[in-house]
Amino acid sequence: MEAIQAAFRDLIDGVRLAPLWLTLGWDQTASRFRRTVLGPFWLTANLLAMAFALSFIFGGLLGNGNWRSTFSLMISGILCWSITGGYLGDASNTFISAGDLMNTMRLPLTFHVLLMMYKNVINFLAQLIALWIVLFLLKLGAVPDISLLLGLPIVLINGIFLSLIIAMPATRFRDINQTIVVSVQILFFLTPVFWPPAQMQGKRSLILTLNPFAHLLELIRQPVLGHTPSLIHWEWGIGLMFVLGATAVTMLTFYRKRIVFWL
Amino acid sequence: MSCSVRLDGVTLDYFIYSVKAQSLRNAVFNLAVGGNLYKSQGDVTVVRALENINIDLEEGDRLALVGHNGSGKTSLLKVIAGIYEPQKGRVEVKGKLTSMIAHGAGLDLDLSGLQNIRKMGAMRLLPKKVVESRIDSIVEFSELGDFVRLPVKTYSSGMMARLMFACATEFDADILVLDEWLGAGDAAFFQKASTRMQGFVDKAQIVVLGTHNFHLVQVACNKVIELAAGRAVFAGTTADWAAWRNQ
Repeated sequence: MEAIQAAFRDLIDGVRLAPLWLTLGWDQTASRFRRTVLGPFWLTANLLAMAFALSFIFGGLLGNGNWRSTFSLMISGILCWSITGGYLGDASNTFISAGDLMNTMRLPLTFHVLLMMYKNVINFLAQLIALWIVLFLLKLGAVPDISLLLGLPIVLINGIFLSLIIAMPATRFRDINQTIVVSVQILFFLTPVFWPPAQMQGKRSLILTLNPFAHLLELIRQPVLGHTPSLIHWEWGIGLMFVLGATAVTMLTFYRKRIVFWL
Repeated sequence: MSCSVRLDGVTLDYFIYSVKAQSLRNAVFNLAVGGNLYKSQGDVTVVRALENINIDLEEGDRLALVGHNGSGKTSLLKVIAGIYEPQKGRVEVKGKLTSMIAHGAGLDLDLSGLQNIRKMGAMRLLPKKVVESRIDSIVEFSELGDFVRLPVKTYSSGMMARLMFACATEFDADILVLDEWLGAGDAAFFQKASTRMQGFVDKAQIVVLGTHNFHLVQVACNKVIELAAGRAVFAGTTADWAAWRNQ
């Protein structure tokens, strides 16, 4: 019973330390681009290069030969993927890379996950602004939908729970980190990040309906492009939140004390 | 504000995982033959770091932990700091705790001394104004002079120790947990540091200090615990400890 309380306290204390992870996340993002010329615009450059290359190839493959028709789908897909699945590599290394800090002062485990997630959110938001500007300049822009303000938190809460679930065993078994790197690559293809969902036909469309990442992705991509996500995506997003939340609390209950010895 | 540190029958085990035990493949094979994924698999060595440790500290107490290398000093400091949670026993710490256990812990080597002072202040959730108001006295106490503007990687270990000690003592903490790195300072700094620690009695602060320096123990601490192989072989006042050692 005490262990369950401690698990919940870990989550609450992590959230309460917001002033600290907000400061640290910002500082660490700034120092990451120290001594570079482009600074954080490296992220934007990366996103644009990827989106143009994919639009060029798939615009041709999908038959209409016009890169403009697929460009907004692809660029928004790649960007939204970074916060729905792309962060999982970072997530599995959360405690391993926070090892020094964990051995220096007492902080809840949730704190390290929130810090990792916050850094990903900074990157996401910086690129999101760049994305809207680029789409506007290309005359592909649309007014973002207000449901983004609900979709984004749902995606982030899912991400925090999922990171906790992955990061704990990944600290103990170093094979898991490698498995995650491979899985994220495969998930990137299995999720409609850069292909239009409507084109997937037959039994294979199951990877759309049963892939939680596909639903989470749509929860932010649709509003970013000015649409409202359909009900099924909300159902999946909110349902997942409870499933992952319960799993994360259970794992915290059993393994919270041990993580620091696994480093 | 009142502060206290109370440890009741604390026992701490380390689980040392070999390379083999860190592999998921082996864990899965163990599972297949009826093992448990997180328990009792091959190549996990259990080391008892602390056994049945009891501590009772009130306001103004300065406790020295002494003992050979590997006797459990740092483990015990980490338990008090809340970094390790013991498998058995109770830990009750009241008051705001600052720990500086490893040498250079919490310092960012690429940042200057000044930036590090601000960073350590931020890590302790102190308002920016408070940190700024303490910078002068920290710089003065650490005697770093113009070196505070240089990256910490250019510092000697003694200079780092001065900076860490100055920060640890200037940012108002009720309980200070410090390890052996203090010994990296020279004789003059030692003198200053022990004078400052004696001043904690007036401020009703608690200090827990891991050290090998018997002189420091005698001038700066009023209680001593001597550890050997994770057990407390002596616990009492500094005067009793000096007598006990002379037997």
